[in-house]
Amino acid sequence: MTTKSTLTAIGSKPLPDDTHSCWSCGDMRAAHFCASCGKVQPPSPVDYFTFFGMPPKLNLDVAALEKDFYDLSRRLHPDLNARAGSQEQEWSLEQSSLLNDAYRTLRDPIKRTEYLLHLEGVALEEQSKAATERARATGEVKKQIVPPDLLEEVFELNMQLEELRMNKKMGEDDPNLTKEIAGHKIALEAKHDALLQELQTYWTDWDSLIERNHGSKAPAEERAKITAKMVDVLNRRNYIRNLVRDVNAALEE
Amino acid sequence: MSYSDKVIDHYNHPRNVGSMDKSSTDVGTGLVGAPECGDVMKLQIKVNPQTNVIEDAKFKTFGCGSAIASSSLATEWVKGKTVDEALAIKNMDIVKELSLPPVKIHCSVLAEDAIRAAIGDWKKKQETGKPVAAEAK
Ligand code: FES
Repeated sequence: MTTKSTLTAIGSKPLPDDTHSCWSCGDMRAAHFCASCGKVQPPSPVDYFTFFGMPPKLNLDVAALEKDFYDLSRRLHPDLNARAGSQEQEWSLEQSSLLNDAYRTLRDPIKRTEYLLHLEGVALEEQSKAATERARATGEVKKQIVPPDLLEEVFELNMQLEELRMNKKMGEDDPNLTKEIAGHKIALEAKHDALLQELQTYWTDWDSLIERNHGSKAPAEERAKITAKMVDVLNRRNYIRNLVRDVNAALEE
Repeated sequence: MSYSDKVIDHYNHPRNVGSMDKSSTDVGTGLVGAPECGDVMKLQIKVNPQTNVIEDAKFKTFGCGSAIASSSLATEWVKGKTVDEALAIKNMDIVKELSLPPVKIHCSVLAEDAIRAAIGDWKKKQETGKPVAAEAK
C-alpha cells in the first residue's frame, strides 16, 4: 500500500502537537493551505514525512512524491502569493524552502534512510568516536565497526589504485593491472547494489512495524533493532561507495 | 573549509609513510576505518622488546587531508614513547595540535584508533610468545 499525501489539510481532527486554525478564516487545522479559504499558512515545525502528509515509512512512491512536490511548489511559489501581502509571501518563501529540503531528502534512498535514523535519534557521526571512548575507558581493543576483511579489501584495492595512478603519471602502462582493476569495478558495483537491496529489506521491516502500530509509536527496542541493521549497511556502503568512486576516477584519469 | 598550516604541512610532507613487516614479532599493525566517511588508515609500530619503547612507526592513509595529517602526527608522537605512554594519546590532543574543525574530529579518532589497534596487535603477539611464521609480507 502506498501512502498518498494530503496536501491541503491533514485529517479533520486536530492533532495534539501542531494544531493550527487558519490565521485568516479561523477554520480547522490546515497544513500548507487552509482547507476552507485556501490561504497559505505559516510553516509549522514538522518532520519531512509529515510535511508531505505521510507516515514515516521508507518504501515510498517516488513518482507520487515528485508529483506532490511539483504541485506544492507551484502553489507555494512566492510570486503567486506576492500580492497577498508580505507576511503571506514570507510564509510561502519559508514553506518553499522547507519543501525543497524535504523533497531532496526523501527522494534519495540513502538520504531518506539517514533522515529517518536522525529522527530516531541515531547519531551516525558519533558512533566511531563513542566506541573509541569506550575502548579508552576500558583499555580493551576497540572492535572495528565494519568487518576487518572489508577494511583489508579496501586498503589493498587502494594500494593498487595508487600504483595505477603512479604508472599513468610516469607514462607507463600495465595492462594487467588495469584489467584487474576493471574487474574489481564490476564486482564492487555488484556489491553496492547488493547492499542497497539489503537495505530495502530493512525498510520493509520498518514499514511493517509502523503499520502494525497504526500511527502510535512502536516499542523502542523493536525500532532500535531495525535501525541498527540500517546503520550497519550504511557503514559498509560508505566504504564500497568510495571504492567505486575511486576506481572509476583512476580508470578514467 | 580551509586546512590549518600544520595540516597542510603534514599533508604535503607526510612523515613516516610506508610499511613494515607485518609478520615480525616486534611489529604491531593497526588497520582501521572511519565508518562515517569510508576512509582507511594503517599504522605500524616497531617496539623494542626489552624497553617497550616504540622505536619506529609507519603509516599509510587513504582518506582526507586531516586523516593524513593526523596519522602523520601520530607516528611522530608515538616514536620514542613506551607503549603505555602512547596509549595515553587522545584524539583531542591531535585535534588541538592540528586545529581541526568539529567536522574533522572523526579523522583524529581514526588516528587514535590506529595507535590503539597497532599496540593491541603487538601485545597479542607478545602474549602468544612464539614468533609468527617468518614469511615476509
Ligand atoms: S573525512 Fe574521512 S577521515 Fe577525514
